[in-house]
Amino acid sequence: MRDYWLNKLFFDIQKPELAAQYKENREAVLSRYPLSAELHRAVLNDDLAALAPHVNAYLLRFYFAICGMNDAEFIRRLNELPQSKEQVSSHG
Amino acid sequence: MAKLAGVFAASHGPMIAREWNSLSAPTRAAVEQGFGRVGDRLRAARPDVLVIVSPDHWVNFFLNNFPAFCVGIGAEHDGPPEPFLRRFFNHPVLPGHAGLGRHVLDTALNRDFDPSMSHRLTLDHGFCLPLWRMGLDPIPPIVPIVVNEVDDPMPTMRRCLAFGSLLKDAIESYPEDLRVAVLATGGLSHFIGEPGMGQIDEAFDRTCISLFEKGDPAAIAATLERDVRHTGNGGHEVRNWVVAHAAAGARGFELIGYHPLEEIYVGCAFAEWRQPG
Repeated sequence: MRDYWLNKLFFDIQKPELAAQYKENREAVLSRYPLSAELHRAVLNDDLAALAPHVNAYLLRFYFAICGMNDAEFIRRLNELPQSKEQVSSHG
Repeated sequence: MAKLAGVFAASHGPMIAREWNSLSAPTRAAVEQGFGRVGDRLRAARPDVLVIVSPDHWVNFFLNNFPAFCVGIGAEHDGPPEPFLRRFFNHPVLPGHAGLGRHVLDTALNRDFDPSMSHRLTLDHGFCLPLWRMGLDPIPPIVPIVVNEVDDPMPTMRRCLAFGSLLKDAIESYPEDLRVAVLATGGLSHFIGEPGMGQIDEAFDRTCISLFEKGDPAAIAATLERDVRHTGNGGHEVRNWVVAHAAAGARGFELIGYHPLEEIYVGCAFAEWRQPG
């Protein structure tokens, strides 16, 4: 289930000035987004597994890159998530 | 009357720009060769206007307003916002072609097809990375067309074929004597921000290539509508290739190059639809 405000946060943070504010004081920026307590906590804890089901995958990638997570660590965490798609063994 | 001068496709992975200075020699060579070949062919087509079909990667549109299709009808558009691309591609403003853009929009509306419109789009790496790597200079006026390929629900493959057909008719009915090229960007398979990121679904890519070579629009629509749900989210960008295929009259597909490049996370492909005569 998508969370509109979580997506909005990850979308907005592409702006360098907001990203800089966010790195300075996460709570101050988060206070402008009406996230549930659970998602608020997941953001503060960089809990990718808790965030991923609620946000567009591209925005998830942008957000963690902006926050400074390197690709190797990001991919490692992604690959711990349950597979959401069936793989097609042969393509028609 | 305007003339369709050429139809092309090229991948656009942002890692190409992000990691350009540290890419391995084989990856860099494959990327340079692919874009170089498409660029040479595009230049040989001598386009007065370039229609570029690309997704918007969360730059112009958000969940509060997300069109399935958007046609850029402005005389100018803004260049890429991504710092990693701006350092190589220094074009804060890019020329648009308002006349053809408006004609594409009018043609669509007259066919009961209602895209969104924009008088000024920001053209992200989907549009600009191929322009950078092809080294087009000068860059011809652009008619940007955005297709939603980044968030569900997306337009069907069938609808992308219909959009490509009307794009062909719009170009060929535009009253000015212009040479117009079409460039579809993106794809083929890649996984972004989801499990499998960095892997390439080569079977999906080969299926796409085979379908375009065979040319049958019905088979393209049916097969890709099914298969795109089972590959990486970046695979949805094959919709741009489907638009291009129909714009080319569903014939003449020629693969210029295919490289499953895990280093840049993309099944990197380049193609032209060669027109008879």
